[in-house]
Amino acid sequence: MATDGQREYDVCVIGTGAGGGVMIDQLTAAGFDVVALERGGRVGPVDFDDDELRNSIRDEVFSPHQLETYRFDDTSESQTGRHSHIAHCVGGTITHWAAWAWRFQPDDFRVLSKEGPVAGASLADWPISYEELEPFYTKAESDFGVAGDHTSNPFGAPQKAALPNPRHPERVSAKRFAAGARKLGYHPFPVPMAINSRPYGGRPRCMYGGACRAYGCPIHAKATTLSVSLPRATATGRLDLRPNAMVFELPLDTKGKVTGARYLDEKGKTHEVRAKQTIIACGSIGTPQLLLMSKSGSFPEGLANGSGLVGKNLTFHHHPSAIGVMDEDLRAYTGFETHAAFDDLHASDPKRGFIRGGVIAELNTFTHQPIAYTAAVSDDLAFGARWGAGLKDRIRAFPRILLIALIGEELPMESSRVDLDPEVRDRFGFPVPRVTKHHHPNDIAMDNWYEKKLLEVVEAAGGKGVRPGRGDGLHISSTQAQRGNAHNHGTARMGKDPSKSVVDANCRSHEVPNLWIVDGSFMPTSSGYNPTLTILANAYRVADHFIREARRQSL
Amino acid sequence: MRRVEQREEEKVAAKPINRREFVRRGSLYGAGILIGLNTPRPKAAQAAAESVEPAILTKHEWETLDALTGRIIPADEDPGAREANCVNFIDKALAHEDAAALPLYQGGLAALDGVAMARFEVRFVGLESAQQDEILAALERGTAKEWALSKELPSPMFFETVRIHTIVGFLADPSYGGNRDFSGWKVAGYPGPRHRRGGYTPEQVEGQAPIVPVWDLAR
Repeated sequence: MATDGQREYDVCVIGTGAGGGVMIDQLTAAGFDVVALERGGRVGPVDFDDDELRNSIRDEVFSPHQLETYRFDDTSESQTGRHSHIAHCVGGTITHWAAWAWRFQPDDFRVLSKEGPVAGASLADWPISYEELEPFYTKAESDFGVAGDHTSNPFGAPQKAALPNPRHPERVSAKRFAAGARKLGYHPFPVPMAINSRPYGGRPRCMYGGACRAYGCPIHAKATTLSVSLPRATATGRLDLRPNAMVFELPLDTKGKVTGARYLDEKGKTHEVRAKQTIIACGSIGTPQLLLMSKSGSFPEGLANGSGLVGKNLTFHHHPSAIGVMDEDLRAYTGFETHAAFDDLHASDPKRGFIRGGVIAELNTFTHQPIAYTAAVSDDLAFGARWGAGLKDRIRAFPRILLIALIGEELPMESSRVDLDPEVRDRFGFPVPRVTKHHHPNDIAMDNWYEKKLLEVVEAAGGKGVRPGRGDGLHISSTQAQRGNAHNHGTARMGKDPSKSVVDANCRSHEVPNLWIVDGSFMPTSSGYNPTLTILANAYRVADHFIREARRQSL
Repeated sequence: MRRVEQREEEKVAAKPINRREFVRRGSLYGAGILIGLNTPRPKAAQAAAESVEPAILTKHEWETLDALTGRIIPADEDPGAREANCVNFIDKALAHEDAAALPLYQGGLAALDGVAMARFEVRFVGLESAQQDEILAALERGTAKEWALSKELPSPMFFETVRIHTIVGFLADPSYGGNRDFSGWKVAGYPGPRHRRGGYTPEQVEGQAPIVPVWDLAR
């Protein structure tokens, strides 16, 4: 085993995505020596073309070795594959994010208090408030150059500072969606995007190439840790970034502190690094995988898992959707994933028969790329014939499809979780993460209610042949919301009570004093908004606390 | 620059295909993209750039497959799969990255002829369009009693493989050997990828300026 001699870094950060990247940036800027371990390889703008086959259908760019198993519940057979829409590369999943960058609502931080207990769900309050996170939202918006108008959503979270960049152009699809929404009395607005609407932060303005979600940005107009955080950290000279480093164990010393990390390099050779503090940011799938693999005498059920909650309470988002054929080219192949949303139906209202809710947006998730679109409309969506003249007609409808969807909050359940697959191994022989994911009745009721609303909006916009964006007779189990999702949260939830949470209010392990978790797994509940801005803001908050405590020498 | 790192699935694909493995790998692609195959990458694209003659299929297999793709995406006032040369796309894939699926095609195309002979005493390529469609419908539903490979290769699996491959060949970048003269993209009204061509202007995004497709841009 190769060790780095006697060198002990100040901090070891595992993962370079939204949470890890911000920590790396903030801690190197504050003078700490950081070693960053990333399981994926280096990618960059030279790799970021928009060939649909290579990028979207085969997903060859970001996660060539990603492997996991999925099963619906404890009694169903698991399926091996690449289900979660995540990226294993330097920069992590935020490298191919869609850059929707809104804040959570104040009530997202106290779901249990607001709603009361719900049978079968593990609702919880966050140990921090919106007000505590607010300045760090501002910081994240500033560093990541969020573009939009913070006054344009009358139902949005209260916000003190304006966004740093003006709103983007309104795509034709967004105009038609907004017209339909207004006709129904709703208040559409441009989605705040962490994409440059003008040159900002040394990065150029967006070129509106259409292929944004699930693609890397070839010009770094999209704010990512690869384009914002890691270059700054590298420039300090205090970052030792090691790609292709598959961390498999976090060793403990006799005092119960983590000594750093052990990892395999690309050739399968074992290395060990030592650090005073270790920060895990491997995402809500990878973080529990690593903790559960790090078993020891003091932690027979996995590191920092005295609560037994590591890997549990995995939440995705629900995405009921609706599509219709419009009478003009909507140009969904330009711009980025979403250009407009409305939030009028978001607030929780138990009279609907369910609690919580979400934001509704127009989007080009598959309507900017013809293969995925054609496969989707002829298969999952059962929207026209699978072959022959009917399929041809559907291909011709490609530029006129209006697609809208909900970002719906799921209720957490301990039974929806990540653990280690008992059989399937990765290329190194390590157990792959096994995702067990099913739905609370509240999720189903929410899906049904919102789907009707979505259909009304597409009708009001003038869509023909309006229908749900899912197959006949199938439910949410037919969508990606079941097997995998781009939004993963909750598998190392934060809280005040060590018996009911994995990390404390500062995202520090209740049990291992020099271990921190800063990816999306800290979220006790998932909100009805895309999570990444909140992961970024939280990482800025944790970094701020970390630096202050370190300077007081009380870490 | 294309990354040519070998993936685990390719190693799996080097083994003879069997149904269970096919289904497992097919399920790798959720949301309807049921491709249990490796789609062509640099080698197939290179082969497609060099020749539009059959690289691995026999002349008869090529003609049969060409006819089959033409029923999946038929020509009308616009080009279909034959005009887009989807068979070339599939042939180059089978000669290279999709070599593991060659037996599926060889066996399936022979079985297809078997159904045609049993029903009409003519091989598939010689049938009228309506007769070909009748057979395809039976293959899709798995109801063709004359299908000789019901154990090794259920007809719906063969049909779905060809169907998805045809869609991909019709709509993938022409460098992969199909979508000839951008015919698929023209049918779809898709003006082509823009990451390497400067993207779009705000006026184009907003519908205030015309879109120039990639085939009309200066090369």
